[in-house]
Amino acid sequence: MAIGVVTVKRPPERWSSSQPYFAILKGLGVSIRHFLHNLLLFARGQQDFTVHFPEQRLVQPPAMRGMPVLVQMDNGKERCVACGMCEWACPTNCISIFPAETNDEVERYPEVFDIDMSRCMFCGFCEEACPEEAIVMSRQIEIASYSRRGSLWHKQDLLVPVAELKTRLDHLRRQYEH
Amino acid sequence: MSDLVQKNRVAPNNQRGPAARRADFDDLHTEPMHIQMGPSHPAMHGTVKIELDLEGEEVIDADVQIGYLHRGFEKECETGFLYQNIPYTDRLNYSSPVLNNVGYCLAVEKLFGITTPPRCQFIRVIGGELSRMADHMLALGASAMELAAFTPMLYLLEARELLLDQIDAICGARVTTNFTRIGGTLDLPEGFAAFAVERLDRALRLTADADKLLTDNPIFRERMQGTGRMAGKDLLAWGVTGPVLRAGGVPYDVRRATPYLIYGDLDFDIPIGEHGDNFDRYLVRMEEIRQSCRIVKQCLERLPDGPVNSDDRRVKWPPKRKVFGQMEELIDQFKLVLEGGYPPAGEVYHAVEGANGEVGFYIVSDGSGRAWKMRCRSPSFSNMSPLKHMLIGGQLADVVPTFGMMNMIGGECDR
Amino acid sequence: MSTEAPPSDAEKPQLSPLMVKVNARLAPLILEHREFRGDDRIHVARENILAVAGVLRDDPELAFDLLLDVTAIDYYGQPDDFELRREVWDRDHVTMRRLPRRRNLMALPEKGPHPRFAVVYHLISTSHLHRLRIKCRVPEDDPRIASLTPVWPGANWLERETWDLYGIRFEGHPDLRRIYLYDEFEGHPLRKDYGKLDEQPIQAYVGPGAKEPRRPE
Ligand code: SF4
Ligand code: SF4
Repeated sequence: MAIGVVTVKRPPERWSSSQPYFAILKGLGVSIRHFLHNLLLFARGQQDFTVHFPEQRLVQPPAMRGMPVLVQMDNGKERCVACGMCEWACPTNCISIFPAETNDEVERYPEVFDIDMSRCMFCGFCEEACPEEAIVMSRQIEIASYSRRGSLWHKQDLLVPVAELKTRLDHLRRQYEH
Repeated sequence: MSDLVQKNRVAPNNQRGPAARRADFDDLHTEPMHIQMGPSHPAMHGTVKIELDLEGEEVIDADVQIGYLHRGFEKECETGFLYQNIPYTDRLNYSSPVLNNVGYCLAVEKLFGITTPPRCQFIRVIGGELSRMADHMLALGASAMELAAFTPMLYLLEARELLLDQIDAICGARVTTNFTRIGGTLDLPEGFAAFAVERLDRALRLTADADKLLTDNPIFRERMQGTGRMAGKDLLAWGVTGPVLRAGGVPYDVRRATPYLIYGDLDFDIPIGEHGDNFDRYLVRMEEIRQSCRIVKQCLERLPDGPVNSDDRRVKWPPKRKVFGQMEELIDQFKLVLEGGYPPAGEVYHAVEGANGEVGFYIVSDGSGRAWKMRCRSPSFSNMSPLKHMLIGGQLADVVPTFGMMNMIGGECDR
Repeated sequence: MSTEAPPSDAEKPQLSPLMVKVNARLAPLILEHREFRGDDRIHVARENILAVAGVLRDDPELAFDLLLDVTAIDYYGQPDDFELRREVWDRDHVTMRRLPRRRNLMALPEKGPHPRFAVVYHLISTSHLHRLRIKCRVPEDDPRIASLTPVWPGANWLERETWDLYGIRFEGHPDLRRIYLYDEFEGHPLRKDYGKLDEQPIQAYVGPGAKEPRRPE
């Protein structure tokens, strides 16, 4: 079997390791090295850890799951056909949909489409269940509100033009290709 | 130093029970001090309360009270479809969520009788090991910080960020990962291997710095060596698993005992300790970080091509492209979302090696899309039960390193 | 259409090596043995659980030194094998009617004639690396079973948890009190007849220091 067993070794108790001064000096050495390294990066403008949110923002990978939003087609209508799959797949029951019908080409649309953002856990199952690519996880993460009522997002708040969601849609096509 | 340690640590009345200790106080017309440590104490990083009886600085009785984070995971899982429970498992051990995802999905797949394709297994191992490293880093950093060593905590958290970046690139979230699906997983993004190796190396360098600051430090060693000691035999009897058991010298690791996924083909070592005290637990965790790094690098080298989802139509959601265009796949999708896939009736238990020990999922199915009974065997819960016996006889100051090295995660312990 | 021939003796599934050993030592105490996906499980009567556990731990061939888990199942009187009654109820059928808060409603079958609960133990031997599951049915009107704390001290918290969530009493347990929930909690939440949305009475505020600590002296 390639999985072996090793016994961890304690570092030997040398005279020097019982002297706090040596430890302090060694610790200072390590932290000064880090300090100089960071200073150098700072001088070059390449600091890689501290991000001054909200002026600076991290570059998020395409896989990022922010809050779920509805895709708005070019004609201003939503792509959703109110089939209710996302409502069913949602583990926390935070979507509520009331369907309605029109005489347009796509006959069904959601008259009400509410997402309770205080319950949503950004799991992405609604997006995965949707047979129309009508609900996708956006990059929006700032969803705080001043009142509880404010965390109930209605259809008008959720609609995002399809052009803005291109990265995510491309990612989705690749991710769920197989 | 060792003389000092011996003098301070081994309490003379160690072997006597609490009742006998209490009797001493009757003569003195005094009583032991009763203090409540937690639930919102800075060193209790899971929410837990420890009621301590002290004689001077020495702990003569302790009672560990948990349950502050009980959220009814099992009840919730009995009312949701099998696939809907995957995000809930993130919230069990929230410092290594991928391991829980993998464990849960493996249990469900065992129930269905599915084997996943090799690429999926590799990706699961990569995600799981990254998560394990992140968990150990948090555990070591937090306990070092509780012992007033603040700098290693910063380095280890920085290293942890580098690992979470990789998990983020795969699944789109750092903590609430939702990494696996039943019968599959999310695929790696393009150019992941180079990205991962660069970040792993940086993370290892940072860990080495923290190692340099801590391992040879006399203050740290004096607080860790010889405290919270428990022999391997007792640890086994108390049901302890994971790094804590291995530090006691028992080489029990689920990856080695009953290999799952591709662990049987990989080349790595299980670190064990000799003394069963806190310092060994620390060293075992440090070594596990390095071993996990080895595993991830091997997996990245040997990563095969191919699908990441199994073809089993009982669980696999059809590809999106076909759902848009074809009737059969659309119906499949509707059935799977609305009914959750029907497993055979039966019961399975599947265990994986979590960051703190054996994470097992026990599923009893009645043949419907929901589990009749879902049980998570959580390592933190079992590991916490002998904590009382590790604390009694020690000093009040030993409570903090012992508790830190047990690495109790509230979400996993209370579920 | 041809029907499949019933399996002859030669085709019958072989017992795993572990079960051969267990049978050799415990055959009179084992009520039945099942195997599903490679997991062995044995059923024993609840009176015998201490004896069985003692043998399993002490026999050098078995050497089950690690008690992984103790839990219970509320079968609601159903048999162990749900397959037998699969068509009688289908919980999904009920939930498919789009009831409000549908996820929180559990459609329960009729209570069956079998003992209601089952206590389940998971064991592993760290030297022989085999796993075993033990199951004991426990009736609803007398939910008691012997505690395994004398055999494995680690059963302590696990049994407290099972008492807390299922209300099964473990006799001989040194300290059987609730572990997750507060002492005044009414009912046992993982029983099937405890609804997910059931509410508890509000406890009166007693002020700081008015209540003694929970710990027995
Ligand atoms: S992301 Fe998850 S929780 Fe949020 S609406 Fe979608 S399915 Fe529901
Ligand atoms: S699944 Fe998609 S199409 Fe169906 S209701 Fe939800 S958003 Fe609309």
